[in-house]
Amino acid sequence: MLDKIKYSLKHLTVGRVIIYIFLTLGAIVMFFPFYWMITGAFKTYFEVTAFPPVWWPSSFNLDNFVTAFNMAPFMTYFKNSVIAMVGSVGLCTFTTILASFAFSKLKFPGQHIIFGLLLGLMMVPFEMIIITNYRTIIDIKIYNTIFALIIPFTSSIFYTYILKGFFDSIPDSLYQAARVDGCSNWKYLWRIMVPIARPSLVTIILLNAIASWNSFMWPMLAVVDKDLRTLPFGLYAFVSEGGAETQLMMAASTIIVVPMIILFLFARKQIVNGVARGGLKG
Amino acid sequence: MKITIDHLTKDFGSTIAVNDFSAVIESGELIALLGPSGCGKSTMLNMISGILPSSTGKIFFDEDDVTDVTPEKRGVGLVFQNYALYPHMTVLENIAFPLEIKKVKKEEREAKAKEMAKLVHVDMLLDRKPKQLSGGQQQRVAIARALIKNPRVLLLDEPLSNLDARLRIEMREEIRRIQQETQVTTIFVTHDQEEAMSISDHIVLMKDGFLQQVARPQELYDEPANCFVADFLGNPPINKTYGVVQNGAIVLDGGCVVELDAAKNLKEGHKVILSMRAESIVIDEGIKNAEGTVVETYVMGKEVLAYVSLGDYKVRAYIPAEKSFGKGQKVTVGLKKRGVFVFDAETGERLA
Repeated sequence: MLDKIKYSLKHLTVGRVIIYIFLTLGAIVMFFPFYWMITGAFKTYFEVTAFPPVWWPSSFNLDNFVTAFNMAPFMTYFKNSVIAMVGSVGLCTFTTILASFAFSKLKFPGQHIIFGLLLGLMMVPFEMIIITNYRTIIDIKIYNTIFALIIPFTSSIFYTYILKGFFDSIPDSLYQAARVDGCSNWKYLWRIMVPIARPSLVTIILLNAIASWNSFMWPMLAVVDKDLRTLPFGLYAFVSEGGAETQLMMAASTIIVVPMIILFLFARKQIVNGVARGGLKG
Repeated sequence: MKITIDHLTKDFGSTIAVNDFSAVIESGELIALLGPSGCGKSTMLNMISGILPSSTGKIFFDEDDVTDVTPEKRGVGLVFQNYALYPHMTVLENIAFPLEIKKVKKEEREAKAKEMAKLVHVDMLLDRKPKQLSGGQQQRVAIARALIKNPRVLLLDEPLSNLDARLRIEMREEIRRIQQETQVTTIFVTHDQEEAMSISDHIVLMKDGFLQQVARPQELYDEPANCFVADFLGNPPINKTYGVVQNGAIVLDGGCVVELDAAKNLKEGHKVILSMRAESIVIDEGIKNAEGTVVETYVMGKEVLAYVSLGDYKVRAYIPAEKSFGKGQKVTVGLKKRGVFVFDAETGERLA
């Protein structure tokens, strides 16, 4: 232990000190909002609004959470968020797998042109698609239903692109070997490709789940009923409907963020690996 | 199972990989498909397996026309150059996979897979993943997986090229042993003549998509059908000299006259290639076919490799170690009957 410290001190150059200072500052900037949110959830109204600020709540009781839960149906919001997330992520993963397989391993006319077009569509910002999507969900009569939160997110060019990159790296000889063994495309995909691509798939699912969980704009437009709201939209409504009770808002925010934080802590390595790999391919 | 290949052609548009190829492969034999890189031998193998459709021509397995039959229905076992093992499955699962596709019951296919693993000597590695195996072990697993369906023909694409030198010799003997134990007709692709010579029953030699010769290894070496076959086989490479037939002898470029019985039947003025294997040339042994000059000698231990000039050419010859020749010494050069060939200089066809 002592040796380690000695070793570290010996290699402590000026450059390193500067790097550590920057990293520390960055970490504080990143961490502070979370700190403020979580401690805020335990503070009283006076503590939250006090100036100079109160850094540490006087007591850790769950009053704010109970009050927030009583004021708005957060359990319903939570349930809606989960349904929308599981539905859209599940379907999107399914279509992504099929599309990636088709673009990577099958041969059909116009393959490269179609894929190029799809990549081009990736450049269109989400905010522009919102209008057409909005018209579409009204036309197919799913406006203001839970399906409106799922159907528009059942495919993704970006994830298809990432997964196709991984599928491309699986040698064709595996495909030919399976073909000779009498394996159908369908069986090959699910029995060989998908298990091999599991790390990539986990990444895609996680990124997609986080995006779905955090999505705000679309749920706000697509549903009006109170009991169809998702958590972020519900929180927004809570703030605007419930007034400026900051400590309650902090409690509600904490409830929303905690599942994602837990997910991130468990799957941190997968997410980072996947993003790094996707970045290299791109 | 007998394989008949009838006027098979594969046209890729820009290149013709296999050109009007006809051959018969007898049942139960181990066949080497030999040729330089890019000669179409892997294409040939893929057409036999059914992975690649042929452009024209037919393939028969025994009497069945399999030209338009899909790979899985042909009953072929295929081993890829990179082994193509499924990385997420254990050795046992890999070997059993073809039976899994056929919906064979779990106990049954695992019993069969264990039997196959025993045949190829990987039965102590059943729970490993491919990553945890050496190249030779992966190769064995790939062979076991190819054999588990009792294929009518086993196809191996450059099976030894990813292995190191020592393992290569071991594995080629293994392939021979496994083939003899199972008696399955086997075709393997290789560009290594030594590999082909040492284990195969027959060698099919290809060049630029054309069949050159089908023969037993020794026959291919002793009786090459054309100049390419003679050039391709043998180490050191055969001595290749160009000359013209004059007065029943061959006059090499540079004026060296080679007296040769075989040349007596050739047309006067015919341009020919005279090819001589290094071990077929004797120096100062009482046989005289030509006169030459020793240019250089290299001591090899059991013999001496001498370079002897014949006209414009320097030919390699092995001479006994106890003899010694000085540089520039005039010598009589004798040619044995075996290992000396005359080819047409234009077509490369064998004349004598």
